[in-house]
Amino acid sequence: MFKRLALAVALLGLVPAVASAHGPSRQKVTETIEINAPAEKVWAVIGNFQDMSWHPAFVKTEGTGANDPASATRKLTLASGGTIDEKLNKYDAAGKSMSYEITNVDVKVVPVTNYTATLGVSGTGDKSTVEWKSAFYRGYVNNDPPPELSDEAAVAAITGVFKSGLAALKAKIETPAK
Amino acid sequence: MKRGLRLNGFIAGLALCVPAHSFAAEALTTNQPGDSLSFVDLETLKATSEIKIGGKPAGIALSPDKTLAYVTAPDGKELIEVDVVTRSVKRRLKLGDGPLGVAAHPAKPEVYVADWYTHKIAVVDATALVSVAEIPVGQSPSGLAVTPDGALLLSADRDSDQVSVVDLASRKVIATVAVGKRPFGVTIDASGKTAYSANVASDDVSVIDIATRKVTATIKSGHRPYAVALAAGRGFVTGQYSGTIDVFDATTLQPVKAIDACDHPEGIEADASGSTIYAACWGDNIVLKIDAKSLQILARVKVGDGPRAFGKFLR
Repeated sequence: MFKRLALAVALLGLVPAVASAHGPSRQKVTETIEINAPAEKVWAVIGNFQDMSWHPAFVKTEGTGANDPASATRKLTLASGGTIDEKLNKYDAAGKSMSYEITNVDVKVVPVTNYTATLGVSGTGDKSTVEWKSAFYRGYVNNDPPPELSDEAAVAAITGVFKSGLAALKAKIETPAK
Repeated sequence: MKRGLRLNGFIAGLALCVPAHSFAAEALTTNQPGDSLSFVDLETLKATSEIKIGGKPAGIALSPDKTLAYVTAPDGKELIEVDVVTRSVKRRLKLGDGPLGVAAHPAKPEVYVADWYTHKIAVVDATALVSVAEIPVGQSPSGLAVTPDGALLLSADRDSDQVSVVDLASRKVIATVAVGKRPFGVTIDASGKTAYSANVASDDVSVIDIATRKVTATIKSGHRPYAVALAAGRGFVTGQYSGTIDVFDATTLQPVKAIDACDHPEGIEADASGSTIYAACWGDNIVLKIDAKSLQILARVKVGDGPRAFGKFLR
């Protein structure tokens, strides 16, 4: 009886697993930027999970659940047409911080898997610091990744998204409206 | 400074003379992006040294006398033996395609290494530091744990949603237990009767009765649970994405509290006194000290970059 069960399980084990493993080492990218504005003013721009319009890479944010970690989700659309589905995990209005994860993305759009990030702002007076930190594995789940799905490619992609977004945010907030 | 080092050497020397189940005096964290191993003095709550390991270290196990650490480096594809008394790398062994989970036999010089990519467990003779056997298990084996009597090895086969039970005398899988989705860490209680798997994709913990090879209960956890520790009649589960340590009552199996812990809490273990829990926080580069009864965070100790401490890391 046990033997038959063990055999059945062993046979099942031969079926290739759906892509769910991940690269051997989790990557970490953290970017910060100083902004000449009170933290409240910065949070008013970045603190809505349903609005990523401050980031030039995203042309559309669609979602539901507002800023409620129990239900909030969003779909970000890139200029290329690629999309990223995300889910809010933590929202701290008083601490001006939110944490979220990617629930679905094609590695051709962003070459990462198992991605989470925290975006927050802190500061005193008219100066603030925005910190955007992330954790993720590369796009290729097995050993010997092609260059476009390597650890380096994943880190470069996220670093690029963070840097360009934070630079645009600073410009948007510090440049007086015309 | 010099005196401090000499004193540490003296304390480490003492540790050799006392039984293995003495009070844990040190935490060793594998810092994956930092490529290093940090040593935390649990009396002064300070990191006393950080040594270069290489290969993006993740898993850790200790020899029965706790003078040697066995560290896995999944990027470097190595098992690395560290002399924790002199704080130096002793030997390195090339092993498989993705060595990750690691456990040591409680009495004899034998170490088991789970390979994430080849779906096998390597049996390593720790005296010669060579692989002497391979045990095929389910897909992407992750956490490993040995029963206190040294008879059984449990493997959390992450992508097969199962825990394999390996008989160590015959080095064969004698049973598989279906658990929650994507089990990662697996922990066995002091009696050797019950095991707990942290199931990454179903946000829960499976309670396994080892004798009958059955799941007897499922407990909800934080988001993306990594591993479980046991102390003061409670279970402590690190929730990577929720940043929590979720506590349950080990008798009633009811949730007690979600401790707001840190960014990506991962490796977690109870010290030998059974009253204190230590957890590594990958995102914040710290080790947390938690009172197992009051559930208060007692200290946050800075370590190297990206501590994972996947396995037994207290000595």
